[in-house]
Amino acid sequence: MRSDVLVIGGGITGMMAALHLSEVGARVRIVDAGENSGTWANAGSLHVQMQSRFMRLYPDQVPAVEASLPLYKAAAEEWVRLDGLYGPFELMRKGGLMLAESAEQLAFLEAKARREEARGLTVDLLDRGALNRVAPWLGPQIVGAELCHDEGKLNPLIANARLMAELARRDVPVLRDRIVDIEASGTHARAIGRHATYEADQILVASAWGAGEMVRGLGVAIPTKAEPLHMNITEAAAVSIGHLIQHAERSITLKQLGQGQIVIGGGWPARDRGRDCPPEVLASSLLGNVALAARLVPQIGGLRVIRTWAGMNTTADGASTIGRLPDAPRVVMALPGDAGYTLGPLVARMAAAVVSGGSAEADLSRFAPARFAA
Amino acid sequence: MSGQPALTTGHFTFDGQSIPLRDWQSLAAALTEAGLRSFRQTAKGATRGIFCGMGVCQDCLVTIDGVPNRRACMTPASAGQVVQTQVAFPELVTAAVPPPAAPARVITPDVLIVGGGAGGLSAAIAARKAGASVVILDERKVGGGQYFKQSAATSPLDPQQAAGAALLAEAEASGAERLGQVEIWGAFDGLLFLAEHKGAALVARPRVAIIATGAYERPDLRPGWTLPGVMTTGAAQTLWRSYRTLPGRRVAIVGSGPLNLQVGRELAEGGAEVVLIAERGPAPWLRPLASAALALAGPGLVWTGLRTMLALRKRGVPIHYATSLDRIDKDGEALRVTVNGPGGATSVVADAVLMNAGFEPQNEILRLLGARSAYDPAFGHLRVERDESCATSVPGLYAVGDCAGLGGAPAALAEGRIAGRAAAAALGLGDAHDVFADQRSLAKARRFQRQLWKLHDVKPRLPKVPDDTLICRCEEITAGQIRSGLDERPGHAGTLKRATRVGMGRCQGRYCGPVAARLVAAETGTPIDDRSYFAPRVPIKPVAISAILAAEEALKDAL
Repeated sequence: MRSDVLVIGGGITGMMAALHLSEVGARVRIVDAGENSGTWANAGSLHVQMQSRFMRLYPDQVPAVEASLPLYKAAAEEWVRLDGLYGPFELMRKGGLMLAESAEQLAFLEAKARREEARGLTVDLLDRGALNRVAPWLGPQIVGAELCHDEGKLNPLIANARLMAELARRDVPVLRDRIVDIEASGTHARAIGRHATYEADQILVASAWGAGEMVRGLGVAIPTKAEPLHMNITEAAAVSIGHLIQHAERSITLKQLGQGQIVIGGGWPARDRGRDCPPEVLASSLLGNVALAARLVPQIGGLRVIRTWAGMNTTADGASTIGRLPDAPRVVMALPGDAGYTLGPLVARMAAAVVSGGSAEADLSRFAPARFAA
Repeated sequence: MSGQPALTTGHFTFDGQSIPLRDWQSLAAALTEAGLRSFRQTAKGATRGIFCGMGVCQDCLVTIDGVPNRRACMTPASAGQVVQTQVAFPELVTAAVPPPAAPARVITPDVLIVGGGAGGLSAAIAARKAGASVVILDERKVGGGQYFKQSAATSPLDPQQAAGAALLAEAEASGAERLGQVEIWGAFDGLLFLAEHKGAALVARPRVAIIATGAYERPDLRPGWTLPGVMTTGAAQTLWRSYRTLPGRRVAIVGSGPLNLQVGRELAEGGAEVVLIAERGPAPWLRPLASAALALAGPGLVWTGLRTMLALRKRGVPIHYATSLDRIDKDGEALRVTVNGPGGATSVVADAVLMNAGFEPQNEILRLLGARSAYDPAFGHLRVERDESCATSVPGLYAVGDCAGLGGAPAALAEGRIAGRAAAAALGLGDAHDVFADQRSLAKARRFQRQLWKLHDVKPRLPKVPDDTLICRCEEITAGQIRSGLDERPGHAGTLKRATRVGMGRCQGRYCGPVAARLVAAETGTPIDDRSYFAPRVPIKPVAISAILAAEEALKDAL
C-alpha cells in the first residue's frame, strides 16, 4: 500500500487535514483506530478565553495557552468559515460568559480580561445589571461575568457527520486500524498497524492522546495524555440560552444546542477503562456537574437529563504541536493544544500546509515538535 | 361493565377541557377514558400518546401544573391538576421547577430489591424469612408487577390478580418495606443506587442487591406504529386491569404470544369489541406435536390457555394465525390496520391497536453494573449469566425473572425464592435451606416456557419497511436514514447512533437500540453479544435536574 499522505487519526484534526490535502491534489488516506475518539464525544464549545479550570489544574501550562490566545480566536473564525463551506453545524457565536459569584472572582476575571484584551480578544466585564439584560435566567448569587465575544458553540455530531460526508464525496478512504509504530527514512515513511502496514511519502499524525506513544521511536517524547471527561445532555427546550456559560472558579460549561438540548460539561473526570471501551461515568461527576449547573441556571431544574457520556480530552504541555519531527522530517505532527476540538480545524490547516510545502501563514516555531526532543 | 367503580371522584383539565377522573386512575387512563389519544407533539409536528404504559417509552408526556415532560402513564390523576399537551420545546423561562418534596432519604438495607413484581416480591419474602432487612423499590404506585398487574381500586378480577394480592400481602406481612413510585436513575459500582421518590431524592447503599426489573414489550416496527391509539398489549392490559379503562371501543391486536390472546379475552369480557387478533405463529392444531409437548410440560397452564381460546371463540373474536402486521393508517378518528396472512391482506378499522411481538429484558441496571450476559438467538435478546443461586458475575448482585432473559412469572417466583435465600445466606443470615423444591419448580417452569414459545413466533425481524417508516420513536429517525448511516460506516451501534441520532432520545434506545444492534450485526456479519448494543449509561431513565441537585445535596459529604 502506498499513498502520498497517510493521516493517522480520523478526529476533527485528521478529517480537516485530509480535506485540505485532498484539495491541493494529494492522494490521502485516513487510518483511524476507532478507540475513544475525543471528537466523537465532544460537546461543541468553541473556547477562546482562558478556561479557569485549565488555569487552576495546569498552572505551569498557562503561559503557553496565554501566548496562544490569538490562535484560539483564529480557530473560532476558522470554524465560522467551515460552517459556511460545509455547514450549517448549528454554529452560534454569541460569546461566552464566565460567571463570578464573589467580588474576588470578579476581580480575577477583570485581571484575566486585561491579559486577554492585550492578546487581541474582544472582552467585556458585565455587572449584574448588564447581565440581566443578556442572561436574566442566571441564579441570584451571580454578581457579574466576563463576556468574551469571540466564543461560540456548535453541534459537533452534525459537524462531524458533514465533514465525514465531505471526505466520502472526495473519495478519501477511512481505514480502521490502530497504528502501533511509525518508521521513517530519507525516502519514505511507514506506519505499522495491527492489521496492515501503510507506506506513504509523508505521514501526518493527528491521533491526539495516542500520538506521543506512536512517535516515541522517532526522537521525541511528546507527553500526550488521555484525560477522560464527563458530559451530560438534557431533553430539548425552546432555545433561550445563547451564550456558552462558564465559571470563574469552578469546572463547568453549559450551553444550549440549536435543537434545544442543554449540554453540561466542563471537565469533570471519568474513569479510564482502557482503549477498548469508553470511559466510565462517575456518580460524583454526574452529581457535582449537574448540581452546579442547576445552581448557576436554576431555571433548567425542571428539565431532565437524558444521557451522560465520557470522552477523552488530550493534554500535553498546553500548546499545540505542529510541524515536522526533527529526526524524521517525513512525519508531521498536528496536535491541538488545550480545547482540541476548537483548535482542530486551524491546526489541521497549518499542518497540512507544512505537508504540502506551501508557505506557512503563521510562524510555527512556537509549536515546533523540537521542544520535545528526547 | 363488571366490577366497574363508576363513580367519578373529581376533575382535572386537559388543555382547558374538564376531564373526569376516578381515584387511583393514572392520568393516561383518565385521558383515554375521555377519548383523548394525543398527549404530546414531536419536534417534527407529529402527535403521540400512550404507548408502553409502563414508563419506558416516554411518549405519553404532558405538562402538569406547569412542569413539562411528565409521563401520564406513571402519574396518578388528581382533582384540580392543570394538564396540557406537551409541546416539543417547552419555554425554559416560564417552566415551573418542582421544589424538592421532602428531605433526601438514605437507606442501607441488607438486601435491596429492585422491582416489585413476581420475582422481586418472592425474593423479598425469602430474604426476610432468613432474617435480612429488605427494601423493595417499585416504579409503580401499586405493587405486583406486570404479570400480577393489580387493580388500583377494586377487588381482584380473577385468580391471577388474587394470587398477586396474596403475594403482596405476604411480602408486607414479612416485614419487607415496599416503596412505590420510585424511579431509579443511577446505579454505580459498589452497589450505589440513586433514585427519585415522589419528588424527593432516595439513595440506597445495600449490602446485596437483587434486580427484578422484568421486561418490556417488543413492538412490531411497521408503518404507523407510532400513531396515537397504537400501544403495546401490556399498556392496554394495564389500562383495563389496573384502572378499568378500555383502550378503545374497537380493538385490534397484532404480534405473537399468549399475552395477546389473554388480553383479547379480558378486553372482550370487559366490553370492548375485539375486531381482530393476528398471531404470527401457525395455528396450534397445525403443530400437534408441539401442542402436545406443551400440554405435558404444564397441564394447568395449558388448561388456562384453552379456556382463553374458548372464551374468545364464544365472543366471536376472529383469530388469524400465520398473520402479521403490514401497516397502520389513520382512518378519520380511528385506525385502519392491514395484516398479511395465508389468505392475503386484510384490513380492519379499530380505535386502538395493540401490539406485542415478544419482550426485551429490562437489564439496564445489570449491564451498567457490568454483569456478563450472552445473546439468546431464539428470543433475540441478552441473557444475563447466573449461577444456580441467581448470582450474576458481579459480587453481591443477583438477577431474577425476565430482566435476566425471558422466563415467565412462574420461573420468576421460583428464582426469587432461591435468590432471596442465597442473598441472605451470603450475608451470614438464615439456615442452609434445602432448595431442591424450588429448583424443581424452576426447572418445570423453564420447560414449559421452552415449549410455549415454540408455538409462537417472537424471533426479532430485521425491519423490512419502507424508507419513511420510523425506527427511532424519540428522535424520529426513519429506516431510510438508518440505512444510509449503515452504508457510510457501520462499525458499531454506537457509531450508527452518533451518525444518525438513532437512540439518542428520551427512551434511550429501548425500542430502536436492539434493532440497531441487529442491523449492524447483519451488515458487518458479526455475531451479536452484549457489546453490540448501545453502551449502558446513567441515567437509566431521564431524571430531572432538580432531582440530581437534591441527590447531590444528600451525598455531598459521602462522595
